[in-house]
Amino acid sequence: MMINDMTPVQRDRLREQQTKYNRPSFWIQVALVVVLILVPLVPSFRVMDMVAKIMIFTVVVASYDLILGYTGLLSFAHAMFFGIGAYSVALLCYHSSSPQWYHLILAVVAALTLSVILALVLAFFSLRTKAIFFAMLSLALADFFHILGMTWSDLTLGEDGITFSLPGILNVEWSGVNLLGVHFTPRVMTYYLILVAAVFLFMGLLRFVRSPVGRVLKSIRDNEQRSTALGYKTFRYQIYSIVFGSSIASLGGILFAVWLRFVDPESVLGVFSMVDYLLMVIIGGLGTLYGSIIGATFFMATQAWLPDLLKGIAAFFPDYEIIHRIAERWMAFLGLMFIVAIMVFPKGVVGTVREIIDRRKASGAG
Amino acid sequence: MKESVGWAPSLIPDSPRTTDQIEFHSIYIKKSTMDKAPAIETRDLTIRFGGNIAVNEVSLVFEEYHLKSIIGPNGAGKTTLFNLISGQYKPTSGRVYLNGEDVTGLDPASRTKLGIGRSFQLTNIFPTLTVLENVRLALQSKVDVGMVFWHHWRSYTELEDRAYDLLKQVLLEDRWRYAASTLTHGEQRKLEIAILLGLDPAVLLLDEPTAGMSIEEVPAILEIIQDIKAAHNRTILLVEHKFDMIMTVSDTIAVLKEGQLICDDTPEAVSNNEKVQAAYLGGGVKHG
Repeated sequence: MMINDMTPVQRDRLREQQTKYNRPSFWIQVALVVVLILVPLVPSFRVMDMVAKIMIFTVVVASYDLILGYTGLLSFAHAMFFGIGAYSVALLCYHSSSPQWYHLILAVVAALTLSVILALVLAFFSLRTKAIFFAMLSLALADFFHILGMTWSDLTLGEDGITFSLPGILNVEWSGVNLLGVHFTPRVMTYYLILVAAVFLFMGLLRFVRSPVGRVLKSIRDNEQRSTALGYKTFRYQIYSIVFGSSIASLGGILFAVWLRFVDPESVLGVFSMVDYLLMVIIGGLGTLYGSIIGATFFMATQAWLPDLLKGIAAFFPDYEIIHRIAERWMAFLGLMFIVAIMVFPKGVVGTVREIIDRRKASGAG
Repeated sequence: MKESVGWAPSLIPDSPRTTDQIEFHSIYIKKSTMDKAPAIETRDLTIRFGGNIAVNEVSLVFEEYHLKSIIGPNGAGKTTLFNLISGQYKPTSGRVYLNGEDVTGLDPASRTKLGIGRSFQLTNIFPTLTVLENVRLALQSKVDVGMVFWHHWRSYTELEDRAYDLLKQVLLEDRWRYAASTLTHGEQRKLEIAILLGLDPAVLLLDEPTAGMSIEEVPAILEIIQDIKAAHNRTILLVEHKFDMIMTVSDTIAVLKEGQLICDDTPEAVSNNEKVQAAYLGGGVKHG
């Protein structure tokens, strides 16, 4: 077919296909992955620790964005799914005397099965009625699992949490290997496992929202009545999205537990961590998915470095006690920064930037 | 040059590309030449709202591939009749048949699946999605990919191309990449017809497609309706107020007055019918 015979739609599609690999957005993503691969070369455990957590929470927050931003459902059970993943790997590795690889695979299967079942239960019992009921039921369910984690001490060791070891090259006793002058420790290997898994899961989420399903979800958000009139069963699509998002969250929980080699009810099942998720989603931008990268990075980085930064600033003024007092209350600054971020970017960073770009395009064309 | 830009499994067997874009759609339709049951038939259709009989024992036959208009003074029960046929209302008594089968007990969604597509007096589109996407979603609902999450949506190239063809049919192809909310009112009505065609209904119920349109926009809609009719693969039911438009486009015209069918004939016969003249003129004289 000659290019002149093609409809504008076909030309547009062809152009999109041809420029797939030479668009800036593609190269930004490649550069990002390269940077992530090189991070272990930085001789600071703190940096690697933070980047690993950013990757994990990017996945978790992106999956939350799928449920909240793309489907418009406020779930308080996302931390619960995260905790189910974390506990499934911790319990399996802890209760088997010497953890093997198949324990990790079993953990993935167990986490996915349990989260699919729970997400279905949550959806079936609440979605048919009202959105608010969904939020309430998810909160109750999440709280139940939190209490279960704290009180079922025989299994979960209660509030003390579980410290466990991992199989093979992820085990701390593995001596590591020297390759091209770089020492690959078990930590570094775990980092790379998380990197591969996180990139894979994030791409999975991207594919989901860009699939025919994602398009229908978008149409439901736009005009639910019209969507139903086209023959789409809204309820089925909402379930689909909840199940998918929750499963990804549980896999994120597995990655988190694998990285820390420790779980306790407060850090992985606590309902209060939902506030963190919400902040990360909103700062990045609802319904953008890429926003979760920015949200998670901003959140993790400020949490890790803000106390040091403030202390550093205070060190310049040794005589002013008031500055030292303020620096000690860095949590207040964190809150302040979030308020400023949300005022500057009302639709989240990615959402607001996209809006500005679209407006520029429109005014340029018109 | 590559023959096709698609890179995904084909959904629908390729149909020959002809200049007549309407050809594309006929592959969906199961043509039954065995029996000649009318596309739609109503028998003694009646609905009461309290003491008021909105539609009173209306028996109408809608022949396959014909265009029948339903006219009548305000409050004659035209839209109510539409609601009974598309399933929004359940009749007090009487039956509705689709291709000879009783569909009286079915809900609107099931009737949509069986091939009754209906437009509403008020515009109903996806405002923030692009014009093309509005139509593409209608097409997507007809093929079984709604649950697919592992392919990119753009890989279903046939859906996009078909959507563009439908936009051409309603003369909206220049606007394909704009958000639907940026269209004028008339354009949005056209888009609605394209969405409706995307559902590929065997029976089209058009409820005042020119409602709220400026005079300049009416001929375009008329042309679109005539094109759909000329393709000869859909039965069309039309409610309209613009009398000259009805006279040009209709095969037959049914006239309702106070819920009762007073005439069902060709346009010429209807315009010469004394009862019809009395219903319109008489009413006019009485009130004027």
